[in-house]
Amino acid sequence: MNINRLSKLKSFFLKVSHHVTLFIAMSIICIPGLWIVLNSFRPTVDIMAKPPVWVPRGLNLDNYRAMFGGAGEGGVPVMQYFTNSLIISCTSTIIALFVGMAGGYAFARFRFKGKNAIFVGLLLTRAVPGVALSLPLFIVMAKTGIIDTHFGLILVYVAMNVPFTIWLIDGFFRQIPPDLAEAAEIDGCTRWQAFWKVEFPVAKAGVASAGIFAFLTSWNEYALASQLTRSTFSKTMPVGLRDFTSEFTINWGGMCALAVLLIIPALILTFIVQKHLISGLTFGGVKG
Amino acid sequence: MAQVILKNIVKNYGKLEVVHSINLDVAHNEFVVLVGPSGCGKSTTLRMIAGLESISGGEIIIGDNVVNNLPPRDRNISMVFQNYALYPHMTVRENLGFSLKIAKRDQTEIDKSVDEASKILSLEDYMDRKPGALSGGQRQRVAMGRAIVRHPDVFLFDEPLSNLDAKLRAQMRVEIKKLHQKIQTTIIYVTHDQVEAMTLADRIVIMRDGNIEQQGSPTQVFENPINTFVATFIGSPPMNLLPGRVGKNMLEFSGGLILPIPIDFKDIVKPGQDIILGFRADHIMPVGHDLTIDGDSAMIEMSVGVSEPLGTETLLYTQLAGQEILAKMLRPRIVQDGETLTFNLDLGQCNLFDAVTQRNLR
Amino acid sequence: MIYKKLPQWFLLILPAIIILAAVILIPLLFSLYSSFTSYRLTRPDTLFNWIGTFNYEKAVKSGVFWAAFGRTILFLTIALNLEMFLGLGLALLVSRVTRGQRMLRTIMMFPMMFSPVLVGFQFKFIFNDNVGLVNNALQSLGLSNSAIPWLVDEKLAMFSIIFAEVWMSTSVFAILILAGLFSIPQDPQEAAKVDGCTPWQSFRHITLPFIMPFIFIAMAIRSLDVARAYDIVQVMTNGGPARRTEILWTLIGRTGYVDAKMGYANAMGYVSIFLAIFFTIYFFKKLNAARVELGMAR
Repeated sequence: MNINRLSKLKSFFLKVSHHVTLFIAMSIICIPGLWIVLNSFRPTVDIMAKPPVWVPRGLNLDNYRAMFGGAGEGGVPVMQYFTNSLIISCTSTIIALFVGMAGGYAFARFRFKGKNAIFVGLLLTRAVPGVALSLPLFIVMAKTGIIDTHFGLILVYVAMNVPFTIWLIDGFFRQIPPDLAEAAEIDGCTRWQAFWKVEFPVAKAGVASAGIFAFLTSWNEYALASQLTRSTFSKTMPVGLRDFTSEFTINWGGMCALAVLLIIPALILTFIVQKHLISGLTFGGVKG
Repeated sequence: MAQVILKNIVKNYGKLEVVHSINLDVAHNEFVVLVGPSGCGKSTTLRMIAGLESISGGEIIIGDNVVNNLPPRDRNISMVFQNYALYPHMTVRENLGFSLKIAKRDQTEIDKSVDEASKILSLEDYMDRKPGALSGGQRQRVAMGRAIVRHPDVFLFDEPLSNLDAKLRAQMRVEIKKLHQKIQTTIIYVTHDQVEAMTLADRIVIMRDGNIEQQGSPTQVFENPINTFVATFIGSPPMNLLPGRVGKNMLEFSGGLILPIPIDFKDIVKPGQDIILGFRADHIMPVGHDLTIDGDSAMIEMSVGVSEPLGTETLLYTQLAGQEILAKMLRPRIVQDGETLTFNLDLGQCNLFDAVTQRNLR
Repeated sequence: MIYKKLPQWFLLILPAIIILAAVILIPLLFSLYSSFTSYRLTRPDTLFNWIGTFNYEKAVKSGVFWAAFGRTILFLTIALNLEMFLGLGLALLVSRVTRGQRMLRTIMMFPMMFSPVLVGFQFKFIFNDNVGLVNNALQSLGLSNSAIPWLVDEKLAMFSIIFAEVWMSTSVFAILILAGLFSIPQDPQEAAKVDGCTPWQSFRHITLPFIMPFIFIAMAIRSLDVARAYDIVQVMTNGGPARRTEILWTLIGRTGYVDAKMGYANAMGYVSIFLAIFFTIYFFKKLNAARVELGMAR
């Protein structure tokens, strides 16, 4: 009986330490984000207070009011940045999806020489560090006159997203047995019809999550955007965060408010996509 | 001496109780088969014995030790899984020797045990392959080999043959039986296939809905099923069941069919009682077809709906008292659909079940 | 009609190739060329001033460059390893949870979706020596009575940057390893238990080989955009103060845009590109080997 009791005690102890560790880990993940959200509601006096104010007092929407009020505190044109981000991210995502679907389908369904080499080659373009790419891009775009435009950034983001989109979509199409399209072709569809009527609906969830991933990449990108955009008419939100800093001071409250605006769409999309995203990445990679 | 004793074992998942206080004694060296439809709790029971599932109540004894809360590694058991559970990144040799390596045995001792096991299961030619390069039957043998290298007190088999095709399954059944003769160890074997149960077991334990319905030797459960469930579950084809009522010294069925009361049940049944008559296809045959009857019999005329020639025998699907009945004909000849034949029913081999409790009245 | 003769697969990947060529390949060729010139943004005519491998020689001889290079390697090694171990730990913790696991998984993914530049600002704020969360907490708890210069001291600044990077990217590992843990067939793990493994032994001999491919996928994905860390560093310290946290990417950015020495910056940029490509290929190779090991390759 002694052995049995010992085993029981041991598993109880393990359970408790498991929960404690998990709680600590989750706290470390959550607190930085919550800290930003909390500070977006606090007046600057409270943020700067010494000694620190722990219990929040007088939470208000001043930072948000200032942010949306046009030339409020700091006068950062947040709505303009938000619109820019939205236009650039959405357009580049849609284009990247179409290009990615074509490419992903080709890699999933056709056999051809040098397939693996081309695939790895495409993926490697993604490995080029943004800052290293931004130098020549800056010059090329300045020469062609598309610097500081929506179009220029959209083009760059499409190129950034295509390799990853192809990888994800290739993985999803590979999960669909080829018989499905073949059956449709026998039933009288052209290959084109078979794709849109049979294979695409089945892979839709996967394509959607590839899209969300592409959207988030564009939405969050900073290294390239910070060099390729200069004016209010093309700056995106991540670049806009910089506007809250001046040489020696940072308007923390205002920045936190913009950060919240930047995070919210990302969080919502993450929530929608999480399941498909994981299966896409693993199918693409492991089952290769 | 490794007997296995289950005392009032209960398993629940939250509020749902899936195994209701079962008791089972398995003697040393005995081959016990747990059989039942899916979801009857047989696999759960086996996994509780293995220590892969915790028990919610009761006591498990292996050998002389209570093992209720012990992890599997302290129970000296081994197990063959339904999906083989081979380690895909190890060769056959490594798979076989893994448990000994974990136990930090000598390399020479490991090699010896592995060679021995590979000989018993004729795996010598595949020792350096990985499981991915083996056929289903070979994987099955590796899984068994992995179980025997440790010389455990108890062998547990969890539906080991269900992924094999029919021919291979029959072959592996024989191998398992031979294996038991060779290694002389207690075996607890779970299956949903009653043929495996009948052919392998010293004792069959039939489970349904988390309860043990009946246990006994294959012949016992075949000939004297304790209720209609066992009657239809064990044996292929299943036992014919005919609901009726006890009249004056006879059994009355719908459609005006009247049969004498089988002699064993004369003193048990009361007039007016609702009963179910059960008999196997082997005990209702066309007149003149090899039915040797010791005691009472009854002649019945039935028309054959469909006949299924199986070579040595033919199965006849007929209608009796509004129920579909299966009869057998040895010495086959061609039977026309719709042909009317006279059948002989061996009353001495019949069972009577209570219509309400479904239990055998014997 | 040349169009008709092209194979279908080629037509399908053609758009991708055109875009990648236009946006990435051509600029890279241009930067390759310019890395052999003394090109300065402010003086366009210098683009044609061919100086051979001078820029590369200059980089190789430059102490600043090697310091940044070494720091980058150190940074990547520490960060990637930490992320892997913490991600593995986090995945194991979460995989053992039965109730509310979906919620934990979602929480776990949040940092991954934060914009790197935002992560940079977030931790710049948190590690701020005057109003930051960390110093405030330490002082309120009485653990320290002076303001710790998190982003000024060389070691502490590297620590802060690595902390931010690890905070952001650990979830990539955790999520993928978790997916790996779920994809492990139950049977071999149970077989290991019955075979007499302690929990540690079954982890070491069964679980780990199974999740190795997933660890390498995560590594490969991470190395694909490992330079995301540039955003963090640029915001938190921008390589400063006084180059104490200078890594390759911030050095390139400053040389190119602030000093306007495009040729030299591009030369160093090439070094960073090869570094990234080397890491990526290395992990893809590892991934393939692990897949073969498990018999997963086609």
